Amino acid sequence: MTRPPGTHLSPEEIDSWLSGTLAQDWQQHLDQCQACLERARTEREIVDGIAALPLISPAAGFSDRVMAAVAIPDPFAIRSLQATQRRLFATRKSMALAASLTLLLLGSMAGSIAWSLTHQETLANIGTWLQSQGGQVAWLSLRGLASNLIEQPWYGGIRSLLDNPMQLALGSALASSVYLGGLLILRRLLALPTQQVAHAGM
Amino acid sequence: MASSRPEWDGLSDQQVVLLARSGKETAYRELIRRYERPVFALLFRMVRDRELAEDLAQETFVKALNAIESYRPEFKFSSWIFKIGNNAAIDHLRRRELDTLSLDGSPHAETPEAMQATALQIGARQESPLDTVEAKELGGAIEAAIGSLRPEYRSCILLRHVEGRPYEEIAEILNLPLGTVKTYIHRARNELRQALAHLKE
Repeated sequence: MTRPPGTHLSPEEIDSWLSGTLAQDWQQHLDQCQACLERARTEREIVDGIAALPLISPAAGFSDRVMAAVAIPDPFAIRSLQATQRRLFATRKSMALAASLTLLLLGSMAGSIAWSLTHQETLANIGTWLQSQGGQVAWLSLRGLASNLIEQPWYGGIRSLLDNPMQLALGSALASSVYLGGLLILRRLLALPTQQVAHAGM
Repeated sequence: MASSRPEWDGLSDQQVVLLARSGKETAYRELIRRYERPVFALLFRMVRDRELAEDLAQETFVKALNAIESYRPEFKFSSWIFKIGNNAAIDHLRRRELDTLSLDGSPHAETPEAMQATALQIGARQESPLDTVEAKELGGAIEAAIGSLRPEYRSCILLRHVEGRPYEEIAEILNLPLGTVKTYIHRARNELRQALAHLKE
C-alpha cells in the first residue's frame, strides 16, 4: 500500500515492520520520522519481552492425572466396527448389496406399517379366523390323544382298578408313600451344611 | 511407555489423533505431552494462579480427549485445544468477575469519545508490595501488565506473541472476526506500552 503524504505509521504498518514486511515507502518514512521510529522500537521491545517470557509447565504427573479421567475407546470394538465397515464398503458390489438390503428392510417395514393402517378390517378378520382355527386344532388334538390312550394295552388294567374302590385306595396310598419318600431323600441330599467352615488367612 | 520418541516426532497432530481414536493410550499421552506446556502457560497467564491454572488445564485436556471423536481434522488440533482452554479460562474469569478494566476503555467502544469515557488511567490499579517487587524486572513487569489487561485482550496478545499464532488462527480460536482480533491486539499493545512506560524513564 502506498503511503499518503504526511501520514504516520498505523498499527497495521507497525505489525508489518515487526514481521519484516513493511513496504518500501513506509520504510523510508520510518527512517526519517523520529516519532514513528521510537513508537516502532517500543513496540518491538514489548513484543520481544512478551516472547521472552519464561516457559512454564504444570506440576509433575499432569499427564497421569488427565489420563485417569479419560475414557479410552476399546480397540477390539473399534477394530470390529472398522472391519465391518471395510467389508461393507470394500467393493461397489458389497456396497450395493448393503444398500439394497438396508433399502429392502426399511421398505418392508414402512410397507407393513402402511398396509396395517389401511387394512385394519382385514387384520381383524384374520385374527378371528386364526382364533377359530386354533380352537379346532386344539379340540382335534385332544380327541386324538384320548383315542390313542384308550388303545394302549395297559389302559384295561387301570380301568379295572378304577372299578374296585379298595384296590384304588391301596394303589393311591402306595404311590403317595413312594412320592413322599422320594421327597425326603431329595431334601436330605440338598440340605446346606450348618457348620462354619474355617477360611485360610482370616 | 513402550513407544519411543522419534516414532512420534515424525507424526502430525492429525495422525496422532487418528491413533488415539483407534484406542491407543500412548497417542493420548503424546497429545498431552505436545500441548500441556502451551495450554498451561496460556491458562496461567490468563488466571494468574498456578493451582487454578492446573485445574483448568486438566479440565481442558479431559474435555478435549474425551471428545476426540468430535474433532474435525481439517482444523488444527492446536486451535481446537486452545479454544477449549481459552473458553474455560474466560468462563472462570466471568464467574469470578476479576478486576479487568481496560486502560483503553471498552473493547466494544466505537468512537474515541466512548473509549475515553470507559478508559481507566494508569496508576488507578492498587499495586500490592508483591506486585511492586515483581515489576522490578522486565519479565515481571510484562507479566503484571498482561495480567491487568481485560481477558479478551489477554488471550489475543498471549496467542499472538507468546504462542506465535497467526491472526487468522487467533480469530478461529476466539471465534472473533479477523478485524476485531487485530484491533484487540493493537489496543492490548497500546495498553502494555503505557503500563511499561515507567520502565523506560
